[in-house]
Amino acid sequence: MIRAARRYAPFALAGLHAVTQYRSTIVLSAITAAAATALQVFLWREVYVGGSAPAGLPFVHLTSYIVLAQILGLLHTNRIDELIAGEVYRGDIAVSLVRPVNYALSCLAVNLPTAAVSAVLAGVPVLAGFSLFASLPVPTAANLALFAVAVLLSVALAFQINFLVGLAAFVTTNTWGIRTIKNALVAFLAGQVIPLALFPADVVTLLRLLPFQGLIDSPLRLLLGGYGDWADAGRILAVQAGWVVLLTGVMSLAWRRSLRKVEVLGG
Amino acid sequence: MSVSTARRYARLTTVLCGVSLHRLTAYRMDFLIGAASFVIRIACQIALISVIFQYVPSLGGWTQQQALFLLGFSLLPRGLDRLFTDQLWILAWQLVRTGDFFRYMIRPVNPFYSLLSERFLYPDGFGELATGIAIVVTAAGAMDLDLTLVQWLLFLPLVLCGALIHTFIKAFLASLSFWMTSSLNVMVAVNQLSEFTAYPLNLYHPVLRGLLTWVLPFAFTAYIPARYLLTGDTGLLLWTLPVTALTVLLGYGTFRLGIRRYEMPGS
Amino acid sequence: MIVAEHVSKHFKRHRREPGLRGSLRTMFSSQYDLVRAVDDVSFEVPAGVKIAYIGANGAGKSTTIKLLTGIMRPTTGQVRVDGLDPHRRRVEVAHRIGVVFGQRSQLWWDLPVLDSFRVLRHIYEVPRAVYDRNMRLFRDRLDLGALGNTPVRQLSLGQRMRAEIAASLLHDPAVLFLDEPTIGLDLVLKQAVRDLINHVNAELGTTVMLTSHDIGDITGICDQALVVDRGAIVHQGTMRELLRSVDTRAVTFEYAAGSVTEAEALQIIAAELPDVRAIPAESGRIRVEYPVERWSARQVIAVLLNRFDLTDVLVPDADLETLLRRIYAGSPAEPVSVGDGA
Repeated sequence: MIRAARRYAPFALAGLHAVTQYRSTIVLSAITAAAATALQVFLWREVYVGGSAPAGLPFVHLTSYIVLAQILGLLHTNRIDELIAGEVYRGDIAVSLVRPVNYALSCLAVNLPTAAVSAVLAGVPVLAGFSLFASLPVPTAANLALFAVAVLLSVALAFQINFLVGLAAFVTTNTWGIRTIKNALVAFLAGQVIPLALFPADVVTLLRLLPFQGLIDSPLRLLLGGYGDWADAGRILAVQAGWVVLLTGVMSLAWRRSLRKVEVLGG
Repeated sequence: MSVSTARRYARLTTVLCGVSLHRLTAYRMDFLIGAASFVIRIACQIALISVIFQYVPSLGGWTQQQALFLLGFSLLPRGLDRLFTDQLWILAWQLVRTGDFFRYMIRPVNPFYSLLSERFLYPDGFGELATGIAIVVTAAGAMDLDLTLVQWLLFLPLVLCGALIHTFIKAFLASLSFWMTSSLNVMVAVNQLSEFTAYPLNLYHPVLRGLLTWVLPFAFTAYIPARYLLTGDTGLLLWTLPVTALTVLLGYGTFRLGIRRYEMPGS
Repeated sequence: MIVAEHVSKHFKRHRREPGLRGSLRTMFSSQYDLVRAVDDVSFEVPAGVKIAYIGANGAGKSTTIKLLTGIMRPTTGQVRVDGLDPHRRRVEVAHRIGVVFGQRSQLWWDLPVLDSFRVLRHIYEVPRAVYDRNMRLFRDRLDLGALGNTPVRQLSLGQRMRAEIAASLLHDPAVLFLDEPTIGLDLVLKQAVRDLINHVNAELGTTVMLTSHDIGDITGICDQALVVDRGAIVHQGTMRELLRSVDTRAVTFEYAAGSVTEAEALQIIAAELPDVRAIPAESGRIRVEYPVERWSARQVIAVLLNRFDLTDVLVPDADLETLLRRIYAGSPAEPVSVGDGA
């Protein structure tokens, strides 16, 4: 474990160094996140005020949900898909394969610290800013603990999804299109655009079986107490964990097939 | 611009579009993915609107069909712009940093044209334009929208002005890369802001509304013309032409200034 | 055809300091380092000449080419190509010049090569007859037809360079600027490119300006040379004059194994040919470098024939390589005829 940490530390450091180089990126992502949050808050407040208040998400939690969904979105933003796609397009992937490290883990090491730092640096001011305008309820310690576990699982899921999307570069050159599709679908199905609880009941049941809800809906449901009893909370975590395991299998399968393609094409 | 120059550029554009279409048939998969990416994103936006109108009969005074019309209309100038100016993203991203911008300086055509011409008719714009038309037609049909003759006559010019505003805001931001080597971040942030105009602008805080009207005049690409077409309310409509002209001047002027200080790196 | 009058190009480089604090400081300060890439350079290249632009890395060769092609503006001074300022009258000049930057592509990355050429034909308004003639030429000389429908980004470097060179010649430019044009080409293709450029020059009187680190390009194409050092011209004249300025030439020979030891051989040469440097070369050969004022190649070879059981003798072309190595190392070769303006 320690040896592994030591081996991947240089990747992580390189990633972190890049963050300090791109302060403007962080500032801009904070602005974009704040603006997107503001848009949604305005939109949904209008709905709550003007019509029949939706039952799935109480009004007190509305602002918390929208702000935190944006911040989780920042935490999940990694450029692994872009990175892999770029390496495949330019043929650099062959070089990366020569390095004596696991490719997927090195991708994770490069991107995780970056995402964490930018989520914190951009997220905290946004959260602080919105708590000035709206009183955000303080979560219980138990919910906070459940949330922490769920966030870890959500980061793993986000990484896996992006990794798989990156591998699509082996199939098509329009990786930008693929990434756009992914970004739209993930934001939608995870509950970032619309809180999942606000969908019609049948749709909610379906969406909560998919891996995407594990990114935002699950952690926030646990944090905001949107679950029944402990068993229900456990079930939420179990669905997340189940997807992590399943996607790990899919990843290694897809990776092996892609490698075969590298051999055929010569990178 | 003399008639012969105009004819020359028109002929060039035809040739370049022909070549692009030829390429589309060669990369059919890319084309489909690109088009699909927009259809999916827009489907998410439509879903958002329908979820909202489950709870409220009207949003900021807009009915569901009117909101859909606004969304659809916003896609028309955006799609038209994207069909011809996608290369601006590449300029913002890396053309200055890598030095590849030089190739627009050695061709005997206007460098701005030369730059854009590299990505005429990229597939993604088609999806946006087609979806936009479909939504506008459907929503207008559902409302029995009856345009006056003047409104009919103004429809295309308004779309064109909107497209020009999109193009030259992008040109301005992309040209910043001549000073910053990469302005992709700024462009991403502004692009995200521009998507707000797909929803009724009167929902937002006046500061945000002012920003989107007078600083980054995206309001003139959707909200203002769509409101005029729906209600006949001219409002700020008369400002469209001066605002468009000013945006074009500012965007193109910045590009020319950037070229003057362009320094091609490396050997 | 090409004129530079007291041309200088200075770049401002933001002074960057390391570390987070350093980079924060640079954000708010405006300290610059001034880089003089080209410093008060004047020269004139007559029409129809094929001139090599020679200098070490960082001597300002590429910058000069970028000034002459209108990509950048000189800080002070004037450049003229065919009588026009290439930056101010960029479009007109662009019609008359062809440019190849060996490290970069000017083709449409996603288009097949032939489509790129069709587009170029319209952009440069190349008449049908000229287009057909040139495409035939490129097919014959560069085997361009073989690249056919492959998109440019999938070409190998060698294939792409062939396409780049053809693209620069498609519109019969009056002046051709080549910056490292044979990078990535194999020997056969290098020769094909040189032949093509010489052919175009002979047929159409195209003026050629070339920078290259490949001596074969310089000797195989150019009849004149322009030597720059630290931004200033140190020599301009015909290739022959440049070569005559070489003060040292070399003969390399190989002798029957076992006849004499290497040490003995070196001693013999030192005794027979004073002022000569004998250096053991690879695989038992010996390289003899002699000053041209003292010895001629004939004299050196006569001594070698006399004293050794020769199995092979190499007398390389006037040793441009030695000359260039000195230029590139920064010490100007002597004697130099300082910019006489030819």
